[in-house]
Amino acid sequence: MSDEGIEEGLGRSGATELLPPHVSADFYLWLWWKSEEDNGRFAIDEGQGGVEVYVDDRIALRSTGEERPSAVLTGESPATTPEARAAVAGGKVPRDIRLYVRREDRDYHVTLRGTRVSIAQAKLPAQVKSGDAAEVLYDRMFLYEELHWIVACLLRAFAAVRVSAAWRDEVVPRMARWAALDEARAGG
Amino acid sequence: MGILKGALSVRRYRVIGELPEGFRDRWIDTLNTHQFREPQSPTHKGEVMGWTQAHNLLDTDFTDLNQWLYDRYAYFALRVDKKSVPAKLLRAHLQKRLEAWCKANNRPKAPAAVREELKEALELELLQKCLPRVQTWEVLWHVNDGWAVFTNDAELPNERFQKLFLRTFGLRAVPWSPLDELTGTEGLAEALASAGTTDLRGRGA
Repeated sequence: MSDEGIEEGLGRSGATELLPPHVSADFYLWLWWKSEEDNGRFAIDEGQGGVEVYVDDRIALRSTGEERPSAVLTGESPATTPEARAAVAGGKVPRDIRLYVRREDRDYHVTLRGTRVSIAQAKLPAQVKSGDAAEVLYDRMFLYEELHWIVACLLRAFAAVRVSAAWRDEVVPRMARWAALDEARAGG
Repeated sequence: MGILKGALSVRRYRVIGELPEGFRDRWIDTLNTHQFREPQSPTHKGEVMGWTQAHNLLDTDFTDLNQWLYDRYAYFALRVDKKSVPAKLLRAHLQKRLEAWCKANNRPKAPAAVREELKEALELELLQKCLPRVQTWEVLWHVNDGWAVFTNDAELPNERFQKLFLRTFGLRAVPWSPLDELTGTEGLAEALASAGTTDLRGRGA
């Protein structure tokens, strides 16, 4: 195949190209807020039970309209600090968010990164620690697939709320109160 | 960090296109055609890339299917080597050569043509002594379900991967983030795209 043909054949991702950057930021913010509102419980696709999701040990915030993070909060539960939510109340939005995810007896730690919601630094539960390469590969790919599926389920749940009137009428006011409460604590 | 151990950072792809009949045997040939090959000349400058086995970047023969095809998964790696002379080192050596030339020829300054000639000769000499910068990233392809992951999320390596994948297999690898899962519900991605920005500022009181 010629170089020209190769260039033409390279595909671009549909939704990733279509969606503006604030969609991923809203998704991360919704995950953060909802994990605290509902004690980490998220319902996923019908008949599949639920998952627990908490913000883990890192969250990177950026100012709206900028790509690079302007504040990176790390340590134990940085998302629960008044400073973190004060930053949100002040207009910063999450750019990358590290999550702890639990489904049944499987624990994952994963960073959702940037506008593509890329899966990064995914720490998979150790099911098969040793053995032949094939066994480890099948096991880890099952877990990676489950993690990808969970993230997709969470995204679908977020998207359904985000395009509904409930986002503007209920979710945003509640998120704003949640952020402002801690903003007041941080200030006082 | 990679497919078999450690934390996993990947870009996911959908693989578009029909698998040809007897694809496993064809892939042996095509992977061997596009395997990583050391440049013939030790003074080769620039990048060289190709496929290697995932287990060892020196294994580039794909004849044994058992080494890289695990049931429904094809597992191999992209190797990219780049050889270049460190600019500071080249400048320093060139300065010494120019000083020696000026002294030998009793001239205060070397002409541009001499300078260029010395620089080219020196670069070739130093290239022979340099080891390439070697980078590898793993590829895992779920052949039956038509998805693949590449263990790097930066643009340039992914562009190289997509090009060589298409050249090798005649199949397109299209980036597929979790966001793309939204396209399964008609109109959802478009509705999200047209939803405005959420701003919590000044709304909490």
